[in-house]
Amino acid sequence: MLIFFLRRYLKIPFIMEREKRMAVQITSDLQENISQFEELFSDCADIKKRKVKVGQKLEKECYIAYIEVAVSSTEWKDSAVGKILQTLRELPEEKLVAYVEQNVEDISDSQPFATIEDAAQGMLTGDVLFFLEGYDRALKIPDKGYPGRGVYETESEKVIRGSNEGFSESIKLNTALIRKRLRSPHVKVKESFTGKRTHTNVDLVYMKDLIYPGMLEEVEKRLGEFEIDGALDSGIIEQLTEKRTYSPFPQFQTTQRPDRAAMAILEGRIVLLSDNSPVALILPATYNTFIQTSDDYYSRWEIASFTRMLRYLASFLAMTFPGLYLAMTNFHTQILPTDLLLSLAAARQGVPFPAVVEIILMEVAFELLREAGVRLPGANGNTIGIVGGLIIGQAAVDANIVSPIVVIVVALTALCSFAVPNEEFATAFRILKFLFILLCGYLGFFGFLVGTLGILIHLSHMESFGIPYLAPFVGADLNGYQDERDTFLRLPLEFLKKRPIYTKEGTRTRLKFRQQGKGK
Amino acid sequence: MFADNWKISLRQVRRLLILDIFGLSSLTLPGILSSLTGADGIFCLILGMAGGWLLLWLMQKNLQNAEGDYYHYMKDTAGQIAGDAFMVFYYLYFVTLCGFVLYQTTTLVLTWLLPEGSYFWVSILLLLLAAYGTVRGIEGRARVYEIIFWFLGIPLLVMLFLALREVQTDYWAPLMYSKGGEFLYGSTAYWIFLLPLTAILFLKPFCQKSEKLAGCGLSALLYVTALNGLIYLILLGVFGRNTLGVLKRPVITLMSMINLPGGFFTRQDVIMTSVWFLALFALMHTGAFQSTLILKELFQESGNRYSMWISLALAFIIGLGFFGNTFLMEIYEIYQKWIVLPGMIGILLILLLAHYTRRRLGIRKEKEESEEH
Repeated sequence: MLIFFLRRYLKIPFIMEREKRMAVQITSDLQENISQFEELFSDCADIKKRKVKVGQKLEKECYIAYIEVAVSSTEWKDSAVGKILQTLRELPEEKLVAYVEQNVEDISDSQPFATIEDAAQGMLTGDVLFFLEGYDRALKIPDKGYPGRGVYETESEKVIRGSNEGFSESIKLNTALIRKRLRSPHVKVKESFTGKRTHTNVDLVYMKDLIYPGMLEEVEKRLGEFEIDGALDSGIIEQLTEKRTYSPFPQFQTTQRPDRAAMAILEGRIVLLSDNSPVALILPATYNTFIQTSDDYYSRWEIASFTRMLRYLASFLAMTFPGLYLAMTNFHTQILPTDLLLSLAAARQGVPFPAVVEIILMEVAFELLREAGVRLPGANGNTIGIVGGLIIGQAAVDANIVSPIVVIVVALTALCSFAVPNEEFATAFRILKFLFILLCGYLGFFGFLVGTLGILIHLSHMESFGIPYLAPFVGADLNGYQDERDTFLRLPLEFLKKRPIYTKEGTRTRLKFRQQGKGK
Repeated sequence: MFADNWKISLRQVRRLLILDIFGLSSLTLPGILSSLTGADGIFCLILGMAGGWLLLWLMQKNLQNAEGDYYHYMKDTAGQIAGDAFMVFYYLYFVTLCGFVLYQTTTLVLTWLLPEGSYFWVSILLLLLAAYGTVRGIEGRARVYEIIFWFLGIPLLVMLFLALREVQTDYWAPLMYSKGGEFLYGSTAYWIFLLPLTAILFLKPFCQKSEKLAGCGLSALLYVTALNGLIYLILLGVFGRNTLGVLKRPVITLMSMINLPGGFFTRQDVIMTSVWFLALFALMHTGAFQSTLILKELFQESGNRYSMWISLALAFIIGLGFFGNTFLMEIYEIYQKWIVLPGMIGILLILLLAHYTRRRLGIRKEKEESEEH
């Protein structure tokens, strides 16, 4: 109680203080350094520690520590640390420290540390830690690092045309994949750490001369607003930094594609990469950016525009189609031709449930199938899709539990939700679909109007880092109506000469023609 | 960040005003004009528009003189008491407008969309939606109507184009046949439907280019009058004067008669009702928003929660009153014709006169002082 009172009202951070360890300086006394280091890593079977004799007469000692699988054991001699040890064995004892100071510290990515805690943190990035007798620093020597997947094809965000490389769990690899595409010194990578216990590396990648003034500071401010014990995925950072927690709509765009991330950077947006997560966050994000895909810009404009209009329609129908079916068949039958109406009524004959219950049952069953398909291993997941979609669906129709038309409606709605390129964005529509089912099921087309208006009001209030969520359908005048050229229609590239509104003013030209008169 | 500045663009203002004045006027005016003036109704629209233009001109003159917002301008020009009295006048106008349009929207829903629905619950749902829109301020509100503008405009224009096939131009005659009194009554009716344009007066602090507000209002006025003229001619050409005069919402009846090519939808009235539902909701929302804003200024409330709930509760009671007692409609008509319309013009004239008198007196005083020196 007393501790609670002192913490709550006098802001005395007892537990925080206790968790913090006083920083211990590294001295030239190797034994003392070793004892301090081993105290810190006692009972850590995965940390390997070795004492090695060095110098021509083997009279001096050094100490290396590393995480077992993070350092190559079979190719030890060929590794940086192996070569350093070999050289140190060939040098006289009195020249060892000078050699390390003058040569080893200059190896790329090696880093000297002054305290045991910093050195420990350095080793936990997956490299080798090196102490030497008489040397009052610990040196981090790069090695292969933690095991990772390497560059693989993305499972989501498939494209017909364009690169198939996908992000992996290694943040270094991910930044390199972006850098590979944007070979400009203006691309900056700002590194920070989050997670009190995970110490997760977070990189903000952006184009220095293009980002909107104040945007980077805003992102950094939000990242600094919380302290969490562990940030194991970018999803945790996303939820902690977004403003509208209760909205089903995501306020960050996610991508697993380096080319999508690079494209966003070229538009003056910021990409947030988190270590151990193959999902990059892009900000700011708008409704329009969630509908866009990478190959929209790689394909011809007619194809890109057509597929984009399909996606817009799909995003709307993924949310409203079952509701509209209910409104039309239960309330406003006069809209439909008589033949169609009669066939709908005939299909429903013998079904014991009201249409609303029927739709909800099928939608829940579909969501269950989807969830089961995702959780099961690859081949089994596909089987579940076939078993669920074909066998159970057919059996449900035969048993008169649902009508065939409802199966068609649910299947079409599912197709629409799959056509939305971003999974998080599509999920918002999947959730809101149930709201529309209830509204339209009980209020008909009026319910549809109320729901649509409510969501429109909600979306019009939303912003992502200061950008209206519905831009450029709203506020297009701010960028001279240029952004409207890349919405429902993706106009030919020669018309898209300006960067979108996220970019700093004065740097919005992205396309110029050297030949006079070319381009619109 | 540029999006969070509580400012709206001229395009947003224009679209907001168009929806505000289009919904109610296109829904109820054709019936009134037809029964009064027949084909001359088109001239009533032109004369009514001239009245609207006069209103805009007076508003522009006053807005030019106003250095801050309109409330402070009224207080500075006409004094504290008169300023507050004018604000109460505007408040009553907007809150009754909100209640009246709430009644109209609910009746529209109950007639065309939900015949077995309850007036009470439908109007409560609409008010809650308006509250959700109001609580976040003007930016969100402007964005909503900026977005839905073309979603409503395109289907409407397509349907009107398809309706042209049904028009019999014989019904457009005879012209110049109505009596002067009826003609004036019709013109005044349209002028009254244009009164929501006065919302411009209160938009000055929220608009990026406030000096162009009146111009924006004028383009909205021209656009809506052209559309209303087109709708009136089509309705008159399809139904004829006598039938049109007795139809309650003829434009929606027209929508139920148009056949789309392909024949998938047999009737479009339900779908097209959404155009008027959303336009009426926009006007109701304007009433709710402006009355909240005025009450907030009068009571100097820091937020707007109390002002909003008081205004919405009043609007609900007024709407319920219209639903229960049809004679209130007649009182409302008298109130609009004999109090609101002259009051709106009168206030703007008083403010202009007071401003110029003060300025003249100030100049004379300065001259006298300089002569003394």
